[in-house]
Amino acid sequence: MDLNEKELIANLKSEASREQAFQLLVKMYQQRLYWHIRKIVMNHDDTDDILQNVFIKVWKNIESFREDSSLFTWLFRIATNESLSHLQKQKRHSLVSINEIGDYLSESLESDVYFEGDEIQRKFQLAILQLPNKQRIVFNMKYFDEMKYEEISLVLKTSVGALKASYHFAVKKIEEFLKEDPK
Amino acid sequence: MKEKNVNIENLFGKLKKETPFRVPENYFETFADRLNVRIQEEKNSYNKRSLFIYFKPMMAVAAILVLAMLLIYIPITKLLPSDSGNIVQNRSEKNVNDSVSGIPAALISNFSEEQLLAAFSASNDLDSKTLTADNLAVYIADNYSSYEILTDN
Repeated sequence: MDLNEKELIANLKSEASREQAFQLLVKMYQQRLYWHIRKIVMNHDDTDDILQNVFIKVWKNIESFREDSSLFTWLFRIATNESLSHLQKQKRHSLVSINEIGDYLSESLESDVYFEGDEIQRKFQLAILQLPNKQRIVFNMKYFDEMKYEEISLVLKTSVGALKASYHFAVKKIEEFLKEDPK
Repeated sequence: MKEKNVNIENLFGKLKKETPFRVPENYFETFADRLNVRIQEEKNSYNKRSLFIYFKPMMAVAAILVLAMLLIYIPITKLLPSDSGNIVQNRSEKNVNDSVSGIPAALISNFSEEQLLAAFSASNDLDSKTLTADNLAVYIADNYSSYEILTDN
């Protein structure tokens, strides 16, 4: 935890400087958190809701933040948990029968007006969406965000060994998916 | 694992690592303002909730009292004979009927025979000389059943 982050946390915990520090926190992390959430839930509107909920949780709970982990780790953990909870709710409350959350997300991707990738990228995203949620999160954090296993380990509270295995299986599955259906 | 990344990139050829998604125009520029509106709403609803939390114990106590009264009242009304109300009513009616010329029957038992005779003669404009113990016995026999005479004593 560097000095700036310590200062930021201190300012967030102090009522006098909280509002200003919170604005700074939002500016610092909104984009990274947005893309982290977006890769989990795919849809922009859902991502927007979840991102707001994440910052509201931070606003409400900053005083009880024990600083056992870095602010970045804490924020990513909240964002990951909120995103996974959202997917669970979608699965429970969806009027359409959804066998797999991956199918639902694939549909979401196909109809996403904010997707601007080419055909190869679309195919790649569909392959990623076939992965189980946690494996998909590990893959995204490692492949797209280029995070270290140690960092991912702190966010997901999973051992580095388990993360390496998870990433390995994810890569294998994506390869197989693309080989099976290369069009 | 770096090798695996290379494999995927080989598989996709010129695959870029950048996300293929985009956001609405000015999304990140306006996000903080929209978030502030949400936070204000949360604060307002929190204040309302706080008020509810303040009154919650009192409401709970009131609810418990009502429940306790119901728990007492319902078994009593269920367990007691359904005509207990009638008994009370009948009894009060009986008390009224059991008065002799305005003197309640219960009081009569506390008077001596002479006092009763004097009272009857005064209220009924009867001559105390014509009212004898036999007359009184006849009057009581006409107006009271033996059960009433026995139970009121």
